[in-house]
This record gives sequence, C-alpha cells and structure tokens, in this order.
Amino acid sequence: MSLAIPNGLDNSSEKPGERAPLVLGDTTYHDITESVCKVAERKPSTSWVIGFLISFALLQWLTVCILYLIYTGVGVWGNRSPIFWGWPIVNFVFWVGIGHAGTLISAILFLFRQEWRTSINRAAEAMTIFAVACAGTFPGIHVGRAWLAFWLAPYPSLNLWMWPQFRSPLLWDVFAVSTYGTVSLLFWYMGMVPDLATFRDRSTNKFRRFAYGVLSLGWSGSSRHWMRYEKAYALLAAFAAPLVLSVHTIVSFDFAVSQVPGWHTTIFPPYFVAGAIFSGFAMVLTLMIPARKMLGLEQLITIRHLDNMCKIILATGSIVGLAYGTEFFIAWYGQVQEEQFAFLNRAFGPYWWAYWTMVTCNVISPQLFWFKKFRTTPWIIVIISIFVNIGMWFERFVIVVTSLSRDYLPSAWAYFTPTWVDWSMLIGSFGLFFTLFLLFCRLMPVINMAETKATLAKQHHMSHADKH
Amino acid sequence: MSENNEKKIHGISAEYESVDSLLNACRRVRDAGYKKTDAYTPFPVHGIDKALGIQPTILPWIVLGCGLTGTVIALVMQIWMNTYDYPYIISGKPYLSLPAFMPIAFELTVLFASFGAFFGMWALNGLPRFSNPLFTDPRFDRVTDDRFFLYVDASDDLYDSAAVTELFKQTGGEHINTVLEDDSPDKIPKPIFMMWGLVIATSVVPLLIILKMRVTNSDLPRFHIFFDMDFSPSKDAQQGSTLFADGRAMRTDVPGTIARGESGYDLDFMTGVQMDKLSAVDKPGAERLVRLTLGPIGPQDEGPADSAEEEVGEDDAPKAPGVMETIPWLTANPLGNSREVLERGQKYFGIYCSVCHGLNGGGNGLVNRRAIKILPTQKTQNWIPPSSLHQESLYAENYAEGKLFSTISNGIRKMPGYAGQIKTKDRWAIVAYVRALQQSRNATLDSVPSDRQEEIIERQNQVQQELQEQAEAEKAAAEEAAEN
Amino acid sequence: MAKMNDKEANHTVIAEILIPMSEHDTPQVKSADDPAFQLPATLGSLSLPLCIGGLVALLAGWGIANSIHARFGMSVYLTSFMYCISIALGCLFFVILQHLCRAGWSVVVRRIAETLMLMVIPLGILFLPILGTLFAGEGILYRWDDPNHALENHLPIIAWAEKTRWLNSSWFTIRAIIYFAIWSALALFYYRGSTGQDATGDKAITDRLQYWSGPAIMMFCGATSFAAFDWVMSLAPMWFSTMFGVYVFAGSILSAHCIISVSVYLLQKCGSIREEVTVEHYHDLGKYMFGFVFFWTYIAFSQYLLIWYGNIPEETEWFYHRQLDSWGTISIVLILFHWMLPFAGLMSRHVRRNPKLIFSWAIYLLLLHFVDIYWMIMPESAANGAEASPEGVKGVLASILSVTGMFAFMIGVTLSIAKRNRIIAFQDPRIRESIAFENI
Repeated sequence: MSLAIPNGLDNSSEKPGERAPLVLGDTTYHDITESVCKVAERKPSTSWVIGFLISFALLQWLTVCILYLIYTGVGVWGNRSPIFWGWPIVNFVFWVGIGHAGTLISAILFLFRQEWRTSINRAAEAMTIFAVACAGTFPGIHVGRAWLAFWLAPYPSLNLWMWPQFRSPLLWDVFAVSTYGTVSLLFWYMGMVPDLATFRDRSTNKFRRFAYGVLSLGWSGSSRHWMRYEKAYALLAAFAAPLVLSVHTIVSFDFAVSQVPGWHTTIFPPYFVAGAIFSGFAMVLTLMIPARKMLGLEQLITIRHLDNMCKIILATGSIVGLAYGTEFFIAWYGQVQEEQFAFLNRAFGPYWWAYWTMVTCNVISPQLFWFKKFRTTPWIIVIISIFVNIGMWFERFVIVVTSLSRDYLPSAWAYFTPTWVDWSMLIGSFGLFFTLFLLFCRLMPVINMAETKATLAKQHHMSHADKH
Repeated sequence: MSENNEKKIHGISAEYESVDSLLNACRRVRDAGYKKTDAYTPFPVHGIDKALGIQPTILPWIVLGCGLTGTVIALVMQIWMNTYDYPYIISGKPYLSLPAFMPIAFELTVLFASFGAFFGMWALNGLPRFSNPLFTDPRFDRVTDDRFFLYVDASDDLYDSAAVTELFKQTGGEHINTVLEDDSPDKIPKPIFMMWGLVIATSVVPLLIILKMRVTNSDLPRFHIFFDMDFSPSKDAQQGSTLFADGRAMRTDVPGTIARGESGYDLDFMTGVQMDKLSAVDKPGAERLVRLTLGPIGPQDEGPADSAEEEVGEDDAPKAPGVMETIPWLTANPLGNSREVLERGQKYFGIYCSVCHGLNGGGNGLVNRRAIKILPTQKTQNWIPPSSLHQESLYAENYAEGKLFSTISNGIRKMPGYAGQIKTKDRWAIVAYVRALQQSRNATLDSVPSDRQEEIIERQNQVQQELQEQAEAEKAAAEEAAEN
Repeated sequence: MAKMNDKEANHTVIAEILIPMSEHDTPQVKSADDPAFQLPATLGSLSLPLCIGGLVALLAGWGIANSIHARFGMSVYLTSFMYCISIALGCLFFVILQHLCRAGWSVVVRRIAETLMLMVIPLGILFLPILGTLFAGEGILYRWDDPNHALENHLPIIAWAEKTRWLNSSWFTIRAIIYFAIWSALALFYYRGSTGQDATGDKAITDRLQYWSGPAIMMFCGATSFAAFDWVMSLAPMWFSTMFGVYVFAGSILSAHCIISVSVYLLQKCGSIREEVTVEHYHDLGKYMFGFVFFWTYIAFSQYLLIWYGNIPEETEWFYHRQLDSWGTISIVLILFHWMLPFAGLMSRHVRRNPKLIFSWAIYLLLLHFVDIYWMIMPESAANGAEASPEGVKGVLASILSVTGMFAFMIGVTLSIAKRNRIIAFQDPRIRESIAFENI
C-alpha cells in the first residue's frame, strides 16, 4: 500500500511511559555530523541547480518589477480607490505569517522542552529570516517613495524638523518587524556558531576554512562557553517567544485599531497569531518534506517530527476556524449594521470565491489530520500544507480587499483587479525566498547538529536507564 | 619537533569517547583540586557544570539591565518626541497616549535585551578569538564532531604534567597531548588584507562623492531621477484650469468655512455693518449678508452676491445713492487705537497691502512700479493704478471704518477681497493703521503731546539738514561727473 | 551503533559506580497504600466544616448584598460563581492539555487539578439561582431579560429584537445546560480514566485519554468562550468584544496554575507527596504562572487598546464605566497588581525555585483573580436608572463573604472527593519521568 511507512522509520506511535526515539537507526554522533555536513560539502545535485536557477530567475524578475515600480510609481499595481492596500499588503502579512514558525519552533517549543524541535529548528529559523526579508520588501516599496523609507526611523532630521508618529500602528509595525528580523537573525546565527565550527574543522580547502573560521568566531566547545551559551540561548528564547506573539499582534493592530467594518474586532490579535503559526508550520512542512528526501535526512527528520507538526497545524487551524465562527457570531450578536454587512459581503458578496477558498483550505483541509494515516504520509502532508498556504494567502486577501472594497461609503465601492505587476511580485517573492533557502541549504548546516547530538546522548542515556 | 622546547606550554589535554567517561574524569579532576580546567564537547553536556565546578554566569543581570534600558529609551523617546518636542493630535488621541506607546516600548525592551544576551554572551566568553593553542592539535578538530576533551591549564596552582597525565590515563583519557603555543603566522594573508582594504576604499567613494556634492556648487541643471515627482502635474497657486467653471485652479473656501480661531465674533465685527440698523431698514439684504458671512448657503446664493458686488465695484460714479452708501456702516473701530493694534496693523499692512498701495499708502507700491516699467505704452493706458489712500474721499468722515473694513474683506474694482487671507482681527487692525497713515499726512504739531513736541522739532531739523547735505553731495558728484 | 554501544556500556559501568546518582536513578514509585499518596487527615477533616461554613457564608454574603438591591445581590452571587467556575474550568483545561501534549513533568500534580475540575458538577447546581432570576422576575440580573429595557434606554428596536433572539431566558437555559453537560462529561471522563488507572495501571487508559484530548479541547474552548459571552458579557447587553471569551479564559488558566501550586504546597506541608513533587515542579508551575500573567496582560491590553483606539461609542461604553470612580481605581489596581507586580516578582528563577515564594505568589494571584472577576461583573450591578458602585463597606464585605463562602464550599467538596482517592496519579505510565524531571 502506498500509505505504508518503510519499516524501521516509523516512530510516530509512542507507548505511554516510553518516549519514542527522535533520531532513528544506529546513528552515532559522527553519523549526524556526516549526514548534515555532506549536504554542504558534496557537489550540488542537478535538482538543486535547476531549482536554484528557476528561483534566481524569478528573483531577477522581482527585481525588474521593483525597479519598474519605483521608476513609474505605485500606479502600476491594481491598488485603486478605495482599495489602497491591495496585494502588497496581502503579501506582506502572508510572508510575515510564514516567518512565525521558525521562531516559534526555536523559542516556544524550546521553552516547552519539546525535543523534537532540534532537527527542524535550524531550517525553520532560516525560513523565518527569509520570509521576513520577503515581507519587509512589500511595505518598503508600498510607501511610494521607497528611497525615503528611512523617514520612518526616529532620527533627528535637519530637513524635516519632525518626528515619526508613534501613535500609529504602522510605525509599531516598522519597529516590530525590524526587531523581529534582528532578533531572529541573532538567534539563528547564535544557534549556528557551534555547527559552523564543525564545518570549519571539517573543511579541506583554505577558503572554506577561513570563511567558516571567521563565522564560527573561534568556537572551541569549552564547557564554560557552552554554559553561557545555553543561558543566552534560553534567554533569547524567552524573549523571542513573546516577541513572536507581538509581531503578528501588531500586524493585526494595523487593521483592528481602525474602524473599517470587518477589521475592527478584538479577536484579531490571538487569531492572527494562530493563523501565522498555522501558515508557518505549513510552509515548514512544504519545504522540509522534499528537503529531507533530497538531502537524505530521513533519520533525523522523522515521521514523528512530521506527525507533531501536523498536530500543530490541526490545532491552530481549528483555532482559526473557531475565530472565523466567533467573528461571524459577534457580527450578528453586536447588531451593528456595517459589521453584519461586512461579514455577509465576505461570504456572499463579489469575493465569495476567495472566502470559500479560504474556508476550504484553512478550516476543512487540516481536519484530515485527525486521521493518523494522513499525518504520517509525507506526500499527503505536502498537499495539505500547500492547501493551507493557499488558504492563508486568501485569508489575508479576504481581510484586506473585501473590507476595503465595500466600506461605509457605497458610492466609492469598487472591485479589485490585480495587474501583471501584482502577479509578478507575488511570484517573484517566492523566487527571493527560495533563492535564499537553497543557498542556505548549500552553505550552512541545515540541521542543528549540536542539539541533535545532545538529544541522541539523552536517548542513549534513557535506553541505558531503562535496562535496569 | 625540536622547537617544542622553546614554545610555551599551555597545559595538557586528553581525549574521551563518551559523555559518561568525560563526566567521570571531570569529577576526578575537580576532586583532585584542579581549578583551571575546562572540558570541550561537541554539544552541551548536562551536568558538566557541577562536575567541573563552573560558577553560574552573570549574563541574566546584564540582560535585565539592557532590557530595562530599552524600555526606558523607548518610553522617553516616544513621550518626548510626540508629547513635547513635536506634539500634534492624531485620531483624536491625547499627546501623551501611553497605551499607544506600549507596543514600541515592548519591542525595544526585547531588542535591547536580545542584544544584551547575544553580545554579552560572546563578550563573557572572550569570543571571537581566532587563535587558540588547543587548535594546534589536529585531533582537536573532532571536538566539534564526536570527541570530548578535558584540559588542565599549566597556570593551575597544582599543575604537574606527570600527575595530570597519570590522572587522565586513569580516567580513560586517550591521546594525552601537551598543548603548545600556536606558532602559525598571525598575520592576515596579504590577498585577504588587500581585498579588505579595497572593499573599504570603494565603500568610501560614494560617501566622498556625496560629500563633495554637498559642499560645491555646480552650473549644471539639477538631475531629476524622478521627473514627475519633482515636477508633478498638479496645479500651482494662481494657475488656470479648464476643469472648473471659473477657470481657476485654486478653489475658494466652501461657503461658511470658518478658520481656526475665527469663531465667536459678533456679526458687526465680522461684517463692519451695524446689523441691527440694517435689518431694520433692509431685512432681506441683512439676511443675505448674514448668509454670505456665516453660511450655510447654497451655490445659488453665491451668484447674486457676487454680481451685486461687481455692480457696486464697477459703478465709479453712482447716479443714485447705491447700496454702499445706504448701509449703516460701523463708524468706530471695535479694536480701538492702542499701540498694539497699530503695530499689528502696520505689520499686516506691510505684508498684504503695501505691495500695491506702497508702504506709505500713496498707491505706488512695487506692483505698480513694476507694471509701469514693463507694460508697453499702449497697455499702460489700461492699467489702473492702485488707489492712493490719501484721497479725501477715503478719509474717515467720508468713508466709514466699517466700509473700509468691508472693502478690505470683499475687495473693490480690481482689488480682490482679503477675507480669505487676513484674519478678521487683523483686518480691523489694518483699518486702524490706514487711519493712522492718513492722519500722518495731515497732522499738525498740536496733535503731538506737548512733552514730545520738542523732540519732534529736533528730529525734523535733523532730517532736513541731512536731506540738504545729501542734496549738496549729489550735486557735487554730478558736477564732478560732468567735468570728467 | 555496535561499537558505540560497547564503549558506552563500559563507561556506563564506571558511571554506575562513580556518579552520585541524581539523574541516572530511575526513581522508585511508592506502593499504593503509602500514606504519602493519601489526603492528609488534617485536611480531610476540614471537608465538612468548609462545606457548611462555606454555605453559611455564601448565604450570609448573598443575603446582605440582596438587602442593598436585588441586582446587586445577584451580581455578587454571579461574581462568586464566576470566580469558582473559572478556577474549575482552568483545572479542566490543564488536565486536557497535559494529555494533549503527552506531558511528563506534570503527572505528579495532575490529580490535584483532576479533583478540582470535578467542581464543575456541584457548580452546575449553584448555577440554578442565576437561572432562577430569569424566571422569577424581569431583569433581576440580566438587563436583556427585562422586556422594557430597550424602550427605557432608547435602543434600536430592530437590533434589540434580533438580539433577544439569542438573549432570552429559554435559549439561555438550554445553552447553560449544554455547557455544563460538556464540561461535566469531560471532567468525569478524565477523572474516571485517571482514577481507574490507579487500580489497574492499564496503559491503554492513557492512550484513550490522549486520543480524545483533541476533540475534548475543541469542545471545551467552544463551550467556555460562549459561556463567557453569555454569563458575563451579556450583563452589558449592547456591548460586545470577540476577544472576551479568551480574556476570561486567560484569568482562568492562570488561577488554575495558582491553585495547583497552593494545593501542592499545603499537601506537602501536611506530609504528603513530599518526595514526588520537587522544586523542579514548583519551578515549572512558577514559569507557567509567569507566562500566564503575561498572557492575561497581553489579552487584556489588546482588548483595551483596540477599543480605546477605535473609539466607537457602543464599544467604549464598557471601559468607560470602568474608568469612573471606584471602578477606575480597581482598573489601576489591576494594571499595577495583576500585571506589573507579579510580572516583576515571578521573573527570577530564584523565586520560581522557592516553594514558599511560589505559594505566596499563587495566593496573591488568586486574590487578584477575584479582583479581576469583580471588575468584570460588578460595574454592571446598578439598579435600573442608577450608577453602579461597590455600595460601600457593606457591599464590599458582602462580596467578599459571598465569594469566600462559595470558594470554601467548593474546596470542602473537593476535599471530600479527594479523600476517596489518591492525591497523585501514581500508576500513570509517566510517573517516573515526572518524578525524575529536571529543568535545564
């Protein structure tokens, strides 16, 4: 049967009282080093090269579009009155949401001592940073005069003689997203230093030794260093956890502090956060399942890892579904005409197709994960994850476009139509994302070797302890 | 390896194959009393701090300090910038909106605390440090792979190489190795150094170019990257437009618009008319005037009002007494004649009136002079020069204060109304100042307070003398020029 | 692996001899009859006095409050009820969540929550007076129950007609029955499963409990969110906030962790589970308390910020009432003492690893949880056409007496149940892992 899992690789079921292994097979410390390092050390595979070329071409196309946009003006987008926040903001919120899983896996799962995070956290963190880079692009060019975007920073300006407007959620966004990007970068890099030292010590040519030598800062594995390192890691995790909540909360404030019907609702902060985690995990799965196959990391990224991530998708997907329901209920319960209209308009107005795509992909498709068979079959997971990604893009589309297209002033109602630039930029942003991700796979340790070894050590330890 | 003896010995290291043997060895080394020891492992080993006797780190305190700094900076920055230095109202929120300042306070707390954790950790660890004597041993490369090392430093009080070696052997240590000074060249390789220098040098170039541009002038026209942003197709003030019926690009205020600080005046003050009297005489006229001043009025009211004014304006010699004559104007300036009012009037007269009427009110302002200078002769005939304010017909007894005020507000002949530009109070101040100007031409010495008459006479003489001297000097200069 | 195993094995032998076994030991679980697993007699004997005294205090408090006016009396009663049920629901959520996550660390304290969560059943009976107000008169507690309310307050008639399709006494009663049915069923299912395991040690029970934890948590969330809308939010019938259920839940899960900490500390004081629950468990409970203080703040702040910023009259009304007079003081108290003080106090690892301090903070937060509930409910307690106020010392005393009474009654019933079973799930397959658990 196609759904069967290869023997010996199924660690998805766990007997109560015993913990299923997270590293499979007769793996030694050295095996972990070998399997992770060879990803970066061997010659790039054909599929990598093809993938990279395609992504890079898309990235170039994005660059061309951005230059065209800057030279011509934001009129090249489909943003028209009253829909001034069209696709660029949809894409921004979409990518920021994707960027949540990495730090969530690193920080929150770390704080909750979920050891299964160790073999997926590195790639997920990298994903976070690349997604935030994609996200940051959109508001950057959406401001119109992108070359003056630095006006958002509170610097003493001799030309302006004024300060930014700190009571605006859009400025909170600038601070939140840039803080998030910075802290994620620190977190990612810090976690990578011991592994970069491994790369350094294994490198055979001078250039690699020098480059990884500089990047690994002279890491020696000293216990004193490890002690402070772990402390710093725990502290960063403790900050990153509320940070990750705050970022999408603040993104939700962009909408919710306004009075636009369908935007102004108090459930937005937790609902956006749940949605972000939801889409982030879907993206991790979409990427990791092909990657583990191509890079030969099935013993480290096991079925149990996938199973757990599917459960998180199921949980957050259900929360999102509950939030959709609550919004609808309160719109009716509150008896405010505009709110009621906004929600009916979402579901049965001109954008009904977007709304029902969203509901199908976000609420219904993850319900398949109630069944274990779906949670443990990689190709099904990939399909559902892609559905979730599509659904979450549509969620942002529904929120941004339907509310704006029909607000308080019926004479200004309009229907949004994207232009070719809108399309190109959405696709191009995937080019940026995948280019960075593929480079990361080639140049950096894709799995946290040090932590995985520590998990392995614990696993050995427990199996010894169980013998007597 | 003959040079080994000359090299400094740093300590001894031994290699272990498993966590447990390392932990065991650590405890033995600690119990033997060695203090300057360290273990090197490919991953953090749980319990090694106790086994080696490592003290907890002060990092959390550094992080707490950084975090609090972040909070304080964020709050002080936002409150100072938005509440004190550059206060303005947005979304009807108070200047000091603490709830709105919370998100950034939180973000900066996290940012600073994270910097504290990240940089604090590397600083406490003494990293980056690229040269490490332990790295001289090629076996030490496996410390980041699958081997565990224990190291005793030579500077330890109890250090004795034989004893340490023996201890290592007992605990199962392999490949016991004396750690020697790293004698590899510590100079940065030349190509890297040069590349580094080149990068720095090139990165300075744009800065230098910008700097040069900032301090030098150029005859070349400015380079416009985004032409349509520098010269937007929008209309400027005073330009024409085909879009509107009146052909003007600038739009007038919506009728009934009241500028900030302009509300709360009574009707007499706003119109210059004694409204009570007017309504007694001409009720519909009074109503129309009120609507015109206060609004709200529909566009249909605008038409008749305009034409009425034009009628009055163009009628230079009215046959029958016109509206302007019958209106019961205010005869006294409601602001009075204080010095303050006159100075204010002088200021606004200087700004708005003097360009046409001249600083002295003689009607020969800059506009008039330039018009006469540049207009071809045939057109000069059509040029209506601004009125001199020193005509008798404009004196207070012929031209009531209220009427003057109304003229300033609504305009006359070619002169546009200034109600949109000058505030009501300032218009009254101008009225007062015009009166002062008119008086200045006809004033006698008697109108000056007696204690200051002398001063005036002295000043008069002085000026006359100066004028005489100037005339003589000019004469002399002219003669000199003629001689040459 | 083979070569590794040999060497590891060798070293393990050495380790066996040399390492003082803190982490290596597989802890031995005491036998079933061990007194450490029983409810201490000192606590058990308190059960009846607490029940009786509690009921007396509840009736006295309620009576005093009723003498002020009827709505005040019922509001005081509702405050007490919400306080108790939010704690019980927090415990129910805690238990389901531990099963959902297959948590190991919490096994030694889970039985405490399991016993407390059963309180949703007696609280279902204590809910009857609240239902009674709907049938005994018009708008005694809930304004929407008063047919003249819309007219007197000039509310839009159509909107009101729609609203009362949801807010009417029969549908409200049916919903309450549904909520209690869901909660009671979940509580009984998890309690029976866990105590059943005490007898048999059957691991399949754990599997079963885990299997149903997903749907259970979904049902729990739905019921709790709507119960918060129904019972508290509808006190101000025209006001609405989508987040309100989450807000009530945040206080509830926080107080659940507090009451678990308090119970563990008291049980240990009286001589039970001293070796099973270690400082590590206090550390974890402390972390969760800290985390949920933050979570409560996050939800409370977000709700406030969005309404404050949007500044729409029908929404700001609720907060506006709570900024006037004594309610304003209570709002400030919540900011300072429900957020800032415990946030700063629980930040340090040293505090969290000190059982006595955790106990004190837990008591403190339980008190503040009452202030929070009081702040949600009492500003709506005004008689028709009057301004709400705490009604002076008399009113405050009545509120405190009433909540103390109901809480004492709840604890009394809990103790009588706890007497019948062990106070620790000692047959849970993860009990050893839990006892040996260490924070990193």
